[in-house]
Amino acid sequence: MGDMRQTPRQKRILITGATSGIGLALAFRHAPDAAVLAAGRRPAEEARDVLPHGVAYVQADQHEPEQAAAAVLTALDALGWDSLDLAILNAGTGHAVDPAAETPQMLRGVLDVNLFGAIVLSQTLRPRLEAGQGRLVLIGSTARKGAAGFASYAAAKAGLHGFGRALAEEWRGRIAVQVIHPGPTDTGMHARAGHDPGRVVRLFARTGTMARLIERAIARGRTVETLSFARFLGRGGSGR
Amino acid sequence: MKTALVTGGSAGLGRAMVGRLLADGWRVVSVDRAEGAAMPFLERVTCDLADRSAVDALAARLAATGPFQLAVFNAGVSATGRFEAIPIEAYRRLMTANAETPMLLSAGLVRAGQMAGPMCFVSSLSHFTGYPGAAVYAASKDALAVYARSVRKPFARRGVSVTLACPGPLRTEHAARHAPPGADADRRMPPEVAARLILDATFAGRRLVVPGRTNRLAALAGRLLPGTMMRQMRRLILDRLEGEVW
Repeated sequence: MGDMRQTPRQKRILITGATSGIGLALAFRHAPDAAVLAAGRRPAEEARDVLPHGVAYVQADQHEPEQAAAAVLTALDALGWDSLDLAILNAGTGHAVDPAAETPQMLRGVLDVNLFGAIVLSQTLRPRLEAGQGRLVLIGSTARKGAAGFASYAAAKAGLHGFGRALAEEWRGRIAVQVIHPGPTDTGMHARAGHDPGRVVRLFARTGTMARLIERAIARGRTVETLSFARFLGRGGSGR
Repeated sequence: MKTALVTGGSAGLGRAMVGRLLADGWRVVSVDRAEGAAMPFLERVTCDLADRSAVDALAARLAATGPFQLAVFNAGVSATGRFEAIPIEAYRRLMTANAETPMLLSAGLVRAGQMAGPMCFVSSLSHFTGYPGAAVYAASKDALAVYARSVRKPFARRGVSVTLACPGPLRTEHAARHAPPGADADRRMPPEVAARLILDATFAGRRLVVPGRTNRLAALAGRLLPGTMMRQMRRLILDRLEGEVW
């Protein structure tokens, strides 16, 4: 029957929102020993400048969830990935704004990127995750309980939480689903959102630290995990 | 005469709220996809709240119709069954109608200075219990609930109090369509009772109303033991569903 020795297949990992912040840090952590497909909003030339070597990239702007999912699917086909071990849906965006001043366009963008994009991708990726006995990880936020200055962002992340825990129950035994809520992280998202956290930013977790905590939470496998301030102050500093 | 805005006023809980408000001497603007019987002091506006361009037109119209002494964002649709067996287009409509539209209509009314009284967002008991077998519906109602919590202070600064309502199963056609076969409709709360409790809480400026003692117990159980409640909901609902409905 020929040579039975096979190198174990590399894990196949999809990461969205992978060209900055936590997503980029996750791409760097996984790139050395897994096959990574990174997805992001930026054009491919720009993305290649920031992504680690050897990582595949697909431009998939979650502001257009249906088109983004189609682009990801095309990229998976091009790579020949008929199965997937891990999908980390991490793309996110928000605005620091008085909720009364938030325009329909802003609201729709926040709901599409943070919530509906993840819903569409979850359905699109389901057959491949099932084929790989894979794992779906949704990146939420500790803001999910409510935030006056980020109302639509908090709402979208709350939606992701409710979606993730219902889906975890529905897919139990087929595909593991987790929703992980990082606390404040120095991703640059606050600055892009028009919010100056001031000196508090020194207390924010660095993206690399948060990526490590997320990896550990994935290994633990609990359906809902909150990576709060206390947790990374206690354990995130160095070592393990 | 005071004017109230009610979305989804043609059926179920919305119709019960419209009836109650009319009986109490309000003028009511009811926005719904479906039409309904004409009544004195009731203005029916037909609008598909799941259609973004229709909602944009509605928002512009409402900004010129107010001020409203009360706004109840009640309209909602559901989708029950296995997540992967329901088309994305149905989820898109659901998310727009249940979460996006009430958020942007409420923000628009407050921004335009057209709110002169309290506001109520109708979410669901699923916000506390979880809802396997309706993952995207649950997502939309969680999003709306946390939006309501988030805007409570900023809107209060503009004189608008915000109440979050999380009703449990109601004795409506909507609930009957989405309940598992054999579910006992008599155990669901009549919409007229829920309407009264929710409106009273809204006028009192309460932060949260979960109408009915059994529902409050379920909400408490869901808060204390989310995982256990979720598995229980799976047995009660998902395992009994016989197909997808949207």
